[in-house]
Amino acid sequence: MIQAVGLTKRYGAKTAVDEVSFTVRPGMVTGFLGPNGAGKSTTMRLIVGLDRPTSGAVTVNGSAYAGLRAPLHEVGVLLDAKAVHTGRSARNHLLALAATHRISRARVDEVIAITGLESVAHKRVGGFSLGMGQRLGIAAALLGDPATLILDEPVNGLDPEGVIWVRHLARQLAGEGRTIFLSSHLMSEMAQTADHIIVLGRGRVIADAPVADIVALATGTAVRVRTPHAARLTELLSARATVTSGAPDLLEVTGLTSPQIGELAAAAGVVLHELSPVAGSLEDAYLALTQDEVEYQAGAR
Amino acid sequence: MTTTTTTALPGLTFGGILNSEWIKLRTLRSTLWCYALIVVITIGLGLLLAGTADTAGTAVPADAQQAIWLQVSTLGIQFSVLITSVLGALVITGEYGTGMIRSTLAAVPRRTPALLAKALVFGVATFVVGFISVLATALATAPVLASRGIHADFGDPQPWLVFLGGAGYLSLVGLIALALGTIIRNSAGGIAAALGLILVVPTIVGIIAGVTKADWAADLGQYLPSSGGSQMYNALQAPGAVQLEPWQGALVVITWVVVLMAGAVILLKKRDA
Repeated sequence: MIQAVGLTKRYGAKTAVDEVSFTVRPGMVTGFLGPNGAGKSTTMRLIVGLDRPTSGAVTVNGSAYAGLRAPLHEVGVLLDAKAVHTGRSARNHLLALAATHRISRARVDEVIAITGLESVAHKRVGGFSLGMGQRLGIAAALLGDPATLILDEPVNGLDPEGVIWVRHLARQLAGEGRTIFLSSHLMSEMAQTADHIIVLGRGRVIADAPVADIVALATGTAVRVRTPHAARLTELLSARATVTSGAPDLLEVTGLTSPQIGELAAAAGVVLHELSPVAGSLEDAYLALTQDEVEYQAGAR
Repeated sequence: MTTTTTTALPGLTFGGILNSEWIKLRTLRSTLWCYALIVVITIGLGLLLAGTADTAGTAVPADAQQAIWLQVSTLGIQFSVLITSVLGALVITGEYGTGMIRSTLAAVPRRTPALLAKALVFGVATFVVGFISVLATALATAPVLASRGIHADFGDPQPWLVFLGGAGYLSLVGLIALALGTIIRNSAGGIAAALGLILVVPTIVGIIAGVTKADWAADLGQYLPSSGGSQMYNALQAPGAVQLEPWQGALVVITWVVVLMAGAVILLKKRDA
């Protein structure tokens, strides 16, 4: 269980995390979603006490991370693939981390096996690919067999097989009753892994809901209408809805449901060739949510 | 998930953190290279000097014989402090440069124990390496010097104090560099600051003292780590000159370490990692 209350972090004049409050519950995968620069990584660093909040607080299992008696047994964290000394071998890196909590060599070899690093365990980390670095970071997070896992962009740099592996691992660990908190800037990734989603935009929580609710946000918001009398229908509907035109005979209507549009068209004698709600995807919901929140927009003002 | 096992596990202990830092220190090539270099340079310079010692056929007093032997044995310290300055800074700045520091501090979120364990492990390891290299040099050069009419006396306690002092100075300089590295958090900066304090500052203070004839500059010169340190293994107490005793020299260097380490701890606790 991770609880953030009014968490705020400013770096000089820039506010990276702004009055963020949320709860990450055990037994499920909670996705932490947002465009690059939204403050996801900062929030995760705040949780494990690497950065100090400007105001507000965050606790893990009821106490501040720094106050935990055995942090690695309570929280496993993958911050980014580069939290490793490049001159050390993967196994020695894990042995050094394990030693702090007197975690056995057997466990070190176990996480190496779980993450599929056996063949490179004795190689220096400097020569690792991004994917291998991610696996090593996940191995380190798993060392203490923690009840809470915080993974920042875990699938970054992984091959498709690795992506599926992370997905299964997250689902499995959540199934064991653990708290799984993983971030991504890819909605599609979250859709397949998470039960609950917290969306962050410009340092603020803009959505905090089950995956199904987030999908609902995007479903049924627009209706596609194909008609030979596009101009007339536009005239008819524009008083009550937003109408945009894709092609000469194609309209997209927002603000009215399909039945309403159908009835209005029938009453005015307008022929319709197609009338269909645009199926919302998580991608659409995400884009709708974060449209105004994107920090680094292409060709921004 | 079992919360019951969590309570049975040993958790975070200082002994564990010490072990972790020991693993970290010995699993990097830079450590092994630097330590090997210290041993080779100390023995090599000692043998070089011993092999060229020349008493010009005159009989040397026993005291002076002993002093020559000890100077030969500790000649390498002057060089080795440069190596430990670099290594001391790298021990921590290497973690900042690679991002390893975030793994370290996530495992030891109170932070101070991590730095203290690092200092302890690095300090002891450097002391041992320093002591071994000085002792090996003393043993290796004694027969060479004996063939040239200079006889070493291991039975006297003074050589042992000199060996301990030399190794201690080496170790303490490393800790000064470690503290500076923690404060600066950058390899180039940390190394430059440590070498600057050991090499450049004494020269500048010396020039100021020479030009202005100011007493404060001369006094200040005495309390720099390098001059305090050189007294720690000085076999020649020049008669008449105002000099610190070896233990006073040690106190000077230890004070530098304590003050800089205190600053390093405060900043480490305060700053974002």
